[in-house]
Amino acid sequence: MRFPWNRMETDLQRELAHHLHQLTAEYERRGHSHEEAMRMAKREFGGSEQVKERCRDERRWAWMSGIRQDFTFALRQMRRSPGFALTAVLTLALGIAANVIVFGVLQALVLRPLDVPHADRVMTLARTDQTYPIFAWPEVRDVRDGNTVFSAVAAWSVESVGLEANGVTRPVWGFTVSGQYFEAVSIKPFLGRLLQRADDDHPGASEAAVLSWAGWKSYFGADPDIVGKTVRLNKHPYTIVGVTPEGFNGTEKFVLPSLFVPMANQASFEGVDWLESRRNKNVWSIVRIKDGVAMPQVRAELTTIAARTARQYPKDEEKLGFKLTRPGLMGDFLGAPARGFLAGVMGLAGIVLLAACANLGSLFAARTADRTREIAIRMAIGSSRWRILRQVLVEALVISILGGACACGLAWISLTGLANWHPPTEYPLHFLVVGPQPSLVLMALLISVLAGVLFGVMPLRQIFKTDPNEAIKSGGIQSSAGRRWALRDLLLAAQIALCCVTVTAAFVSLRGLGKALTMDLGFKPKQAVLAKFELSQAGYSGDAADHFQRQLLERVSQLPGVAAAGYAHTTPLSQDTSGLAVFSQQTTDFRASNKAFSTYYFDVSPGYFAAAGTPLLAGRDVSFTDTAKTPAVAVVNREFARRLFHSENAVGRYFKNRSGLSIRIVGVVADGKYLLLSEDPEAAAFLPISQEPWTKTSLIVRIRPDSPDAATNDMAATIRKVVRDLDPSVPIRESSAWNSQLGLTFFLSQVATAALGLFGAFGLLLSVAGTFGLASYTVSRRMRELSIRVALGAQAKQILSAALGRMLILLASGSVVGIVLGAAASRLLSAIVYDASAQDPFVLAAVALTMVLTGSLSVAGPVRRALHIDPANLLREQ
Amino acid sequence: MATKKTDLIQGTLDLLILKTVAHAPIHGYGIAQRILLTSKEILQVQQGSLYPALHRLQRKGLLKSEWQESGSGPMAKYYTLTASGRKSLQEEEAQWQRYAGAVALVLES
Repeated sequence: MRFPWNRMETDLQRELAHHLHQLTAEYERRGHSHEEAMRMAKREFGGSEQVKERCRDERRWAWMSGIRQDFTFALRQMRRSPGFALTAVLTLALGIAANVIVFGVLQALVLRPLDVPHADRVMTLARTDQTYPIFAWPEVRDVRDGNTVFSAVAAWSVESVGLEANGVTRPVWGFTVSGQYFEAVSIKPFLGRLLQRADDDHPGASEAAVLSWAGWKSYFGADPDIVGKTVRLNKHPYTIVGVTPEGFNGTEKFVLPSLFVPMANQASFEGVDWLESRRNKNVWSIVRIKDGVAMPQVRAELTTIAARTARQYPKDEEKLGFKLTRPGLMGDFLGAPARGFLAGVMGLAGIVLLAACANLGSLFAARTADRTREIAIRMAIGSSRWRILRQVLVEALVISILGGACACGLAWISLTGLANWHPPTEYPLHFLVVGPQPSLVLMALLISVLAGVLFGVMPLRQIFKTDPNEAIKSGGIQSSAGRRWALRDLLLAAQIALCCVTVTAAFVSLRGLGKALTMDLGFKPKQAVLAKFELSQAGYSGDAADHFQRQLLERVSQLPGVAAAGYAHTTPLSQDTSGLAVFSQQTTDFRASNKAFSTYYFDVSPGYFAAAGTPLLAGRDVSFTDTAKTPAVAVVNREFARRLFHSENAVGRYFKNRSGLSIRIVGVVADGKYLLLSEDPEAAAFLPISQEPWTKTSLIVRIRPDSPDAATNDMAATIRKVVRDLDPSVPIRESSAWNSQLGLTFFLSQVATAALGLFGAFGLLLSVAGTFGLASYTVSRRMRELSIRVALGAQAKQILSAALGRMLILLASGSVVGIVLGAAASRLLSAIVYDASAQDPFVLAAVALTMVLTGSLSVAGPVRRALHIDPANLLREQ
Repeated sequence: MATKKTDLIQGTLDLLILKTVAHAPIHGYGIAQRILLTSKEILQVQQGSLYPALHRLQRKGLLKSEWQESGSGPMAKYYTLTASGRKSLQEEEAQWQRYAGAVALVLES
């Protein structure tokens, strides 16, 4: 194929040849010999390459073909030194991918507002006395009825609902929402209508349910005629009145509800009526601020409302205070740590990018120095500086575009993976919102090109300053070598330091995870099965539920292979915990400020401690003979006893709850972890479930310790069968090894470790590339000098110190700075990772060892080369 | 030899080339020779300027070129004026006359 520029190139060649030919002929005519004429003609003609170059510049295709030539040349150069090209592309790809991935998550979780109209006016109420933004419904109602600044105020809570449709009952997650919920979010229904104020007017006001898009698709096969159909929710008939649009997944970014039902009907779902209680904090909130109302005005009104409520209900609401936070991540409860962690990780990603840039900078610097001679020659034969600059620019551009494309691919795969991934929990958690964004691709390419071009062109300065003659003669810039620290040396040290930070962070979190996996939880999740179900979903309540649970316990206890069994309303580390205010026995005024402390509490059956593997240290277990008619009793943990009595001797002593009831402590059990692995020792109380019946049931079955591993899963299946035999309409939410259900608890540490481990690996790869690059460059540049030293009888040790002594100084100082920085940075990790500390000698040793290993690995090649110099050969060559 | 010859005034090279090409199709070497001859060996056009100028004029659409047998052997690239080249030549010639006349007037005063 012939391109216009190919033809023009030959044309030019021929035209100039013709001119020269004519000139020669002219001199011959004047009587000179052929050779003489040729010489004279050539002299008169001058430099034909310069003429050609100027003609090319004049040509129509001039700049296009120039760029094309540059591209071909760049590609050829890359093929000639694949090591350099690969390292540079990989460096860029890693550095940028890390940033795009983290930024993608950050954007999805923090930066992007909810997908509702005027999202900036939508906020969530939070408490001034705690970060967890949970309220009692009357508190939210006070705000709703007493304000002039919100156009809508709504409450919502998450409910596991037994959905019976087409003859099957399935446990699904739903939101119970108060009347103004859909006004607050202001979305338009995809089908039918949404819930309105009238639906939530009073319990039983309406049996209307709205499906979310996801629920409509997964449970009803996206049936277009769904509106008007009747389903049964916890045995109550409900009519589907509408479907929400696709982008709407409720007001929390992690939680995907399948349906929405009126909050007024709450009692009929749970069997427990907490709606009118000011003590039962069960709802979250969502508000929409009226257009044109400024924040100070909103805050002032919230203060007034809180003060009014506190005056009205001094016993319950003494400390009530409202503030507003951004919705989506449980206010600041998840939002603050999520923002903090993501900011930290973003910082690490930034460090990786900086390290990548430093690496790229030193790579390009080394490469440019290698090409000094070539560039000098090109300048000497008339190439303009712009032309050379353009050439280098194009090369940097090719590399950065390749790197950017690789980064985009990497980021795209990871983000899509994240979006399709379900965290290990029974809750409807989802990263659906994270999916990759086209704008991210643009960002990746932009950073890539910027970084590439900047660092590609920077080293040219030193070349343009150099005299071409000198450069050609000496074969490179020698004058400055070995005397002062060049830019690339500093870049390398900086890069090593930065990489060391990421490596330290990785080791700290690895160590934390290791500790977390072996720590004492206060119970033994191994060789135990946890089955969860909600009896209200099958229409049970009160005594019927109690009867069912006891019957089940009896049957399960008789199964072969069962060592112990018990049940509770909820279990530790299940993300579903209940709190209780503890008052000392002497208290008479039960306002919140008089409480001794708050404790986690679990309503448990006899046998729970044996089944959970929680050691009973003193006293007795709860018993079915503790009933509503006998005195209230409790088993507490050691921390509870320490806090209330400053001693562990608690059996036989009393405490009071908020309603003033005296509760006798009959037993003490070991401490454990209840909400988070990273929590400090917390108080916990275990109350007999026979004194406070629940429909929510968590059955724990411990199998005999000598059973094989598979026995746990078999037992889980057997328990399902037993429950079904008792009543097939009870929807079992979960029945599996307790171990596997603790997934989410270890999940945060695991995510942190995975993320940090990845950055650590990125960092290591980068530092290997950087060190190797610079070491081999140093050796190859000083080959001649080293050869002379060898020829003059230098020993291996002297050669090494001459060749790589500076490298070692750089490596060592970079590592030390990095470890110090890393130790400082890992304090930030302590919120997420259990027992994160960089002062751990294990961590320090591991980081140091890793850096030494990487360092020696990356200089091994160049060292070999330096030691195997054959001076005779080399000096002859140059 | 160089002392006798005058460097071209900036911008006049294009005019000289157009004028030379206007007579008959002619190749690059011919143009240089012809300008040298007709200016009684005063105006020497350097190759370094000639060829870039030819390419420039071609890009502007004032000249077109064609490979032909030259009288003395190998193929040569012959340049001819295009219609717009002819027009441009007339304009530039008139402008030059005015300019040269004006300079002459000033020098004679």
